[in-house]
Parts: sequence; structure tokens; C-alpha cells
Amino acid sequence: MLASGLLDRLTGYVPFLFQGALVTLSLSTGAILIGFALGSLFLAVSEKYGQEGVRLTPMQNVAGFFVSVYVSFFRGTPLLVQLLMLFYLPAAFNINVPPFPAAIVAMGLNSAAFQCEILRAGLSAVSPGQLEAADAFGIPKKFIFRFIQLPQITRAVWPAVVSEAIDVLKSSAVVSVIAVTELTRTGRQIVAGNYRPLEVYISMGCIYLLMTGAIFLIGTWAGNRLTHRSNASSQIVQGLPGRLS
Amino acid sequence: MNQSVIIPMVSVRNVGKRFGAMQALADINLDVAAGEVVSLIGPSGSGKTTLLRCMNFLEAYDEGEVSIRGALLGYRNTANGTRERESERGIAEVRARVAMVFQQFNLWPHMTSLANVMAPLTLAKGMKPEQARQIANAALDRVGMSDKADSLPAKLSGGQQQRVGIARALAVSPEVLLLDEPTSALDPELVEEVLEVIQSLSGDGMTMVMVTHEMSFAAEVSDRIVFMEKGRIVTVGTPQDIIYQPVHPRLKSFLQPWIRRSLDGKAIGMESPSPRFNDQIIKEYNNVD
Amino acid sequence: MDASLFVKFLPAFGLAALHTMELSMLALAGGLLLGFAMNAMRETGPRWLKPVYWFYTGVWRGVPFLVHLFISYFGLTAIGLTLDPFEAATLALVLYGGAYFSEIFRACWQSIPVGQVEAASAMGLSRRQIFTRIQAPQALRMSVPLIANQTIILVKESSIASIITYPELTFTTTKIVSETYVYIEPYLMLALSYWLLTLTISRVGRAVNRALSP
Repeated sequence: MLASGLLDRLTGYVPFLFQGALVTLSLSTGAILIGFALGSLFLAVSEKYGQEGVRLTPMQNVAGFFVSVYVSFFRGTPLLVQLLMLFYLPAAFNINVPPFPAAIVAMGLNSAAFQCEILRAGLSAVSPGQLEAADAFGIPKKFIFRFIQLPQITRAVWPAVVSEAIDVLKSSAVVSVIAVTELTRTGRQIVAGNYRPLEVYISMGCIYLLMTGAIFLIGTWAGNRLTHRSNASSQIVQGLPGRLS
Repeated sequence: MNQSVIIPMVSVRNVGKRFGAMQALADINLDVAAGEVVSLIGPSGSGKTTLLRCMNFLEAYDEGEVSIRGALLGYRNTANGTRERESERGIAEVRARVAMVFQQFNLWPHMTSLANVMAPLTLAKGMKPEQARQIANAALDRVGMSDKADSLPAKLSGGQQQRVGIARALAVSPEVLLLDEPTSALDPELVEEVLEVIQSLSGDGMTMVMVTHEMSFAAEVSDRIVFMEKGRIVTVGTPQDIIYQPVHPRLKSFLQPWIRRSLDGKAIGMESPSPRFNDQIIKEYNNVD
Repeated sequence: MDASLFVKFLPAFGLAALHTMELSMLALAGGLLLGFAMNAMRETGPRWLKPVYWFYTGVWRGVPFLVHLFISYFGLTAIGLTLDPFEAATLALVLYGGAYFSEIFRACWQSIPVGQVEAASAMGLSRRQIFTRIQAPQALRMSVPLIANQTIILVKESSIASIITYPELTFTTTKIVSETYVYIEPYLMLALSYWLLTLTISRVGRAVNRALSP
């Protein structure tokens, strides 16, 4: 009796939950991509900052300082606070920020700080001696990056990247406070209608589990494919489809 | 035109280098002729590795000139008589003629031996893969590593990795081979296989400049040996003058730790993981003290 | 920008910060105990309890904290348990933190070379003795930086308790903003408060790490 009632209710609102989940996924995907683009950019300009015995141009010093402050701030304050600031502060200047873009931008800016540091750690996965040898043999910088650094960095950072993707997805729940109808907000709306918080929120939780689990499984599988032992070697040995020089 | 001057393969003229306040090299003058094997020996901090690395511009020297077969390395003479730093491409062009073997091997760990040897050919010289593969296989064969062509460095012993490193250097057909303490990072029992490869290369007429602590090997294989201390060349000579019957007092004290003596103080050989190279030492040193 | 406002809001922020820290520190203490117990159970307990560990750490880390909070505050009423914002937030954050601390302890315990455990076992030490005398001292020392990092994460997550009206920093700020229509100074103070808190925790963590290093 109770069970059939439950099934009826679930079939009633679970589709709406899945719609919310789609919004969650699109928010997260956008945020991860923004985070990766910005994070790599930040790393590129601050690569040498903070290393010992390296002389930097004034531009490099400024950029490096900016990145370190940015990273410290975005990792040291909650996403909710960053989101509220991004959404409400412009109102003081009479600018209205639409919720969905505000959410993606806040999540993206946040993720950029984390991805910058993840990639930075990956850089040191390549020992300097290897880079020196590549230099000594006259291999151009673009090929050093593509064939020597990139494969090793990818292998080193991949688990952390998958982990960050999962974190981004989980953090998306917080944007429900600025009226973005992702999964959590949809759940709240349903509860406001049927007064069954335990049932709805547990269902919601299961859907989140499905999503984070899927990211983990797909991420791990993709990682294994990407970093397959023979990749870098076969590119050199058999030659790429295109020309190398 | 009568070309009576033979251009040396490597020419070092009045070279100096500073690291901050420290003078790492001063007044270095050295010529290496084609086919010659020159060893650089000396205590740590003597500048021998720095000098070697100036020869392929891994270190930028501050004063003087380094030329590879007459081509100035690292700098370009400007119109108004001064000089400026050469472009990356210009440096790469000269570096294409000089290959280096590293103390820590510096193989690329995610690539097989074959890929490691082929990479400079395809990526730096723009060679087609088929041609590069042929050359690479020949080079691996030369050092006796053909059967490990598809192995990753992690699966190889130190001596095997270094031999792949030597193959990688040979594959680019260098005019000069620079060796930076090629056996220092190896376990003693693996040193011999690498020394044998190096010796056979010298037999082929390869011009080599080698920094090493293997005194008896240096004596066996070198045409000349350079003894350095505190950034300067102290003395240069044949193995006879430098190792077997050292005359220079600082040289004698430098070599002491390498001399193995019997209980009654008679010199009976030199420290070396490779007993083969001891015979000459035993013969020579007992004539000395 | 009006600097006098910083002074005006300071008392409210001070109280709010105390609430944030209260929640965070309870979550830290409770989570550490829970995490330690779960890991100990995994290491030394019966085989059939292991799935419990994996279920707990998997589910509690795979779902956003906000969902845990809603279940704690709104959901539990369905089974007769009504908690006020503080109780609900604390319960949810302790369980959430506990899952992460369990994994931290697991990682540290498992990074102790197997050889040491084998040697101890061969010498006749019991599972419990190995746990407390061989693994714990090394693993606990190793875990300090990870625990410091997780504490920072917990402090940041505590901001989410504002959504169920627990009067910590974020809730207090939104309240001030809605009452005074002043935006810039409160939000600035909010961001700086968290930043200061997290930087301090980093410092403390590094100091503890240094103190424990031989």
C-alpha cells in the first residue's frame, strides 16, 4: 500500500528532478571549462613566480603576485560568499546580474583557482633534467611541451582533475540560493508542494550520487585511455598523421 | 687559397663565466681537434662541468668565445662591433652538431628506448619517421641495446639506460660528443659496460669531451687530459703527463685518493670499478714513488 | 566606502564569527573522532563491517553538503526528529567531515610500508597493537597537513548553514544587507573574515606540523 503510493509519487516528481540535474550538469560543465581555461592561463603567466634563483621581468612579477592573491582568495573563501558577492554587489551600482551566468561565472572563477594549482603541481612531474636534454638536442619548445611535458603532466594531474570535477558538481547545489533551477532548487520546490522532505531529498541525494559516481567512473576510464603507455612512443615512432615540422 | 690552418672542432678562447659573485670559469683556453678525446678532471667546483656545458650553450658564458668548427656558439656579432645573444634557432642549429650524454641519463620516461633515440631526429631535425627509425635502430645496435628497443626506461638498469642515452646522442651524427660524468650515477658493476661503449666510440674516431672521475679510464681512452681547479685550467697534458707520471704538485695531491696501495705503501693500481684499466696504472705508478 | 561602518558592524561580525567557529570546531572534533573510529573499524574490525565503511564514505562524500543539511533540518522531522538550525548543522557537518577524515586516516594508515606491518605481525603483535603502536604514531603525524586542509574546507562549508538560518557569518551578512541596504562594506568584511580564518588555520597547521617533525 505504502510502497505503491511511494512509486506513484516518485514517478510524479522524479522527472522534474532529472530536469534539474540537467541544469546542474550544464552549470558544472561550463564551470569546469572556464576553470580550466582560466587556470591554465594563470599558470602560464605565473609559472616562474616563486621559484628560487630566477630573475623575473616586472610584468612577470606583477602577474605572479596577482595569481597568488587570486588563488589565495578563491580557495580561502566559500563559494557561497563569492556567488553572493558576484550576484548582489553589482546591484549597488544598479547593474542587474542574471542568475544563471552569475552562477557559472562564480563557479568558474572558483574552479580556476584550484585548477591552476593542480596544473602547477603537474609541472613538477617532469624532471628538469629531461627538459634540459630536450633543449640540448635542439627540440623546439612547442614540441617539448607537446611530446615530453604534456603526456607526463596529464598522467600526473588526471586523478586530481577528476576529483575537482566532482567537487564542482557538488558545489553547484549552492547556486540554488540565487534562484537557478538546478537539482537542489527543483527539489526544494517539490518539497514546498508535497511536504515530503525526507523522501524528496533522499531521491535528490541519489541523483547526485549517480552523477558524481558517473564522473568518477568515466573519468577513471578516460584517464586510462589517455595515458596509455604506448601513446607518446607510438606518436614518435610511427609518426603522426600530419607533419611534425 | 692555401688553407694551412686546420680549424679545431671545438675552440674555447678566453672564456669566463660568473654565477652572481662567484667566478666559475676564468681565462679558459682550449682547442679540441677533430677525432680527439679530451677528458676534464678536477675537484668539485673546479668548473669542469660548467665548461662542458658551455660547449653546447647549456650555460651561457660571459666572456670569450666558444666555437664549434669555426661557428661562434651562442652569440652573434653585431654591425657596430659588439655582440648580442643568438636566437633560439641559431643556438639550436649549432647544438644540432653537438650531442650530450648526461650523468642522470635524462631519458624521457614515458617513451620507449626507440622513441627516445628517434625523438631528436624527428622533432629537432625534422626527419621522416621511417628514416629516423633506421638510424635509431642502428644506434641502439651500436651500443648493444637492440633487444630493448621497445622497453621503457623504468625497465632498464642504469647502465642500460645510459647506453640508450649514448645511442640517442649518436643518432644525430654529432661532430662532437659531450659526456658529463657518464658513469657517476651508476652502480659499480654497471660502469664497465658503459666505459666499453665509450672506448669503442673513441676507436671510431669520434671527437669527445668528457668530464669524469674515472681516472684510469680517462688515462686509457684520452688523447689529452685537462686538470682544472677553481675555475681555471691548471695543466693540460697526455695521460702520461697527467695520470701515469704526474709532475704538477697539485695534480699529485688531487690524485692521491685514487691510488690503491699495498700495505707497504707501494702503489698497486688505481681505484676503478673496471680492473681492466688497472694494468697500465700498475705498470706506470710503480715507476714513480 | 564608509570606514565607520566597519566599526559599526564589527560586534555583529564578531558574534557571527564565533558561531562559525563553534560549528566548525565541533565538526572538526566530532568528525575526527568519527573518522578515526571508522578507520580503526576498517583496519582492525571484522570483515563484514568493511562495506559499512565504504557505504558511509562513498555516500556522504558523493552528495553535496547542502543536501545533507536539508535532510538533517527538514527531512528528519518526517521521522519525528526536529532539530534547530544549530543542531541540524552540527549533525550534518560532523557526519560530512567524518567521511573525509575517515579517508584521510585510511590514506595515511595505508601509506605505512607493508613491510613494517608484516614484521610486527611476525613478531607476534596483535592487530590492535600494530594499529596503535606501529601505524598510529606515524600515520597521525602524516595526517596533520591533510587534516588542516580539511578543516579549512569545513569552515567554508559552514557558510552553507546560513541557508537554514544558522546565525553564522554569511547569514549575519545577508541579514545586515537586507536591513541596512548597505552592500559593499558587509560583503567585504565577510570575505575578509573567511580569508583570515582560513589563512590562520593554514598557519596553525604548518606550526603543528613543524612541531611534530623529528
